[in-house]
Amino acid sequence: MAGAREEAGDSRLVAGREPPPRIITVTAKTPQERQEFTLAENCSVREFKEQISMRLNCDVNRLVLIFTGKILRDQDTLSQRGVLDGTTVHLVVRNRFPGFTPSCHLTATPATSNQPIPGSNSTGSSPSTGAAGLLTRLGRIARGSPDLADFLGHLAQLLMAVPEAVVQFLDDPSIQGLLGETPSSTNPSGTGPGRLMAQPQTAPPAQAAETVPEALRSPALLRELLMLRADERGLGALKAVPGGDNALRQVYADIQQLMLTVPASAPRAKGPASLSGPSNSSSSAGPLRLGNVWPGAQGRVLGASTQATSPYSSSIPNLYMGLGPGSQDMSPTIGKGALPGPSAPSASALRNALNVLHQNPSLLHQLTAGSPLRPRLPLLPILTNPRALQAWLQIEQGLQTLSMEIPGLGPCLRGSGRPHGGHGGGLAGGSNSRVSSQQPTLAVLQLLQALAHASPNALQTPPPPPPLPPPPSEGRFQQELDQLKAMGFSNRDANLQALIATGGDIHAAIERLLGAPQA
Amino acid sequence: MEPTNLYPVKLYVYDLSKGLARRLSPIMLGKQLEGIWHTSIVVHKDEFFFGSGGISSCPPGGTLLGPPDSVVEVGSTEVTEEIFLEYLSSLGESLFRGEAYNLFEHNCNTFSNEVAQFLTGKKIPSYITDLPSEVLSTPFGQALRPLLDSIQIQPPGGNTFGRPNSQS
Repeated sequence: MAGAREEAGDSRLVAGREPPPRIITVTAKTPQERQEFTLAENCSVREFKEQISMRLNCDVNRLVLIFTGKILRDQDTLSQRGVLDGTTVHLVVRNRFPGFTPSCHLTATPATSNQPIPGSNSTGSSPSTGAAGLLTRLGRIARGSPDLADFLGHLAQLLMAVPEAVVQFLDDPSIQGLLGETPSSTNPSGTGPGRLMAQPQTAPPAQAAETVPEALRSPALLRELLMLRADERGLGALKAVPGGDNALRQVYADIQQLMLTVPASAPRAKGPASLSGPSNSSSSAGPLRLGNVWPGAQGRVLGASTQATSPYSSSIPNLYMGLGPGSQDMSPTIGKGALPGPSAPSASALRNALNVLHQNPSLLHQLTAGSPLRPRLPLLPILTNPRALQAWLQIEQGLQTLSMEIPGLGPCLRGSGRPHGGHGGGLAGGSNSRVSSQQPTLAVLQLLQALAHASPNALQTPPPPPPLPPPPSEGRFQQELDQLKAMGFSNRDANLQALIATGGDIHAAIERLLGAPQA
Repeated sequence: MEPTNLYPVKLYVYDLSKGLARRLSPIMLGKQLEGIWHTSIVVHKDEFFFGSGGISSCPPGGTLLGPPDSVVEVGSTEVTEEIFLEYLSSLGESLFRGEAYNLFEHNCNTFSNEVAQFLTGKKIPSYITDLPSEVLSTPFGQALRPLLDSIQIQPPGGNTFGRPNSQS
């Protein structure tokens, strides 16, 4: 009878007795597959895991069950957590055993947080402790977090918290031995670690502390340092582990992230001087080449630069950031400032241009939005190829001419209902809404062209800087527009359109406005 | 019970057509589409999305698309970053490899839906996941299907979850 009751599944009909546990079917879903399990609804999560581990042939302790966003603990029962008949539970099989929450105070927060908080991570590192102190702390970290990736992450944090200690640390012969460099190596061509090693010996520690982060900032240097030097050892093993790649990338990202935040605290005076150096020398990639300077950590570089923004508004990292979120007022005047001298690849012009981009990250994707070629537009090749940029500029100019000549055509081409007047809208005469809604695509393109030519590697003879964009239509018709406005035609756009269509004849424009109320 | 951390999970929704779809869809498709939606999941202060290059991540709003057109609160999750990243790399090797990308059947929204369910048990709004079938149910969509099928979308600005041992 009990069996029949269970089969019927409707044990609540029995009065006055505790209903026997129902058998339910639960699906466990992994990224690879889904499997069904039948068990009693009051069995514990642990039992469920044991069933799973038997079926999937993996260790019980590596299983993580997730249901409606909550991680199921072993001691809960399925019904307690709301796992009912027919529901699906997500399963993750960990690659490595979940680390025990380290009791060491060094890893106060779960190892997942990788935000650089120099000094506040309760390492309490004081600059005066020498390499020995560092090493003991490292030892404690190593014991505290069994995961190699975590260890390296914390290592990076620790090192970057005390730049002077970095110098001492690197001086330590054991570390140098680890890095495969002898203390006496003075490679003049400056392989990364060689230069690194040489620096502390030749320069006073204070300077070395600054040059070290600077040298380390160079991605090539960093890559060499991390990959070539340590690659043959532990990191190589780490890479071999499936999934270890992610950890590695995280480590690289963290280290680079921290490297980049250090210059933010360096003396400001050093800033521009040191920046124009890298910005010109490392610009072999071109100022706008987004791809693959540091493929692994590019995403994180964006994150890093948002934290290191303050002194270096024109630094290369912020170029990347400039293409991310953020919106400020248009300042096309700065962009125009860069236009007159495209053939002079001065760092300041470059910086100004980058500044504009930085302040107007929406420019670039307005750029793409404004062009009818957008769906097929591979942005990067266009931006980095001066000839392509030029061609695109011509297209945009042609489109603009077309839309001015034939107002009706404009909306179809531009996908916006407004006439494409109001170039350089930041100048007097443009209403605020106009400025914000009509990005001067042309000005941006010219700016980009200026950038491309300002790059030292621009091969093309820079075309003569295009004349200032055609005087805004509204400037031409300023008088007429004012008149129309005084008469009570408040729709400025329609006024302008009418004026353009009639070639400035105000009476005909009025006729038009009165006769055909189409925007 | 030890205290568990709850991490917020958000869905970033981008309109790839930047308003064009809303204007032109009645003409071209015969029905009103509010946008061509690209979505990504934001959790643990990172944005994750799926494109023709596989699963990618970047800081929130960090792709070339800029800030999202709308943000949907999906819920909260207890899943830690560690577990989540393992899950993602496992997904990236199985179900969401780059070559598995298909604009209609298996796109960024499929991924976002999958991840949202994993993290919170909830799905993403249906107007997003219904988009391909909406388009395909029009004669225009059917006619253009071969062309549209070959479109691969990969918003630049992220870095990819590579397969093990792949370094570019």
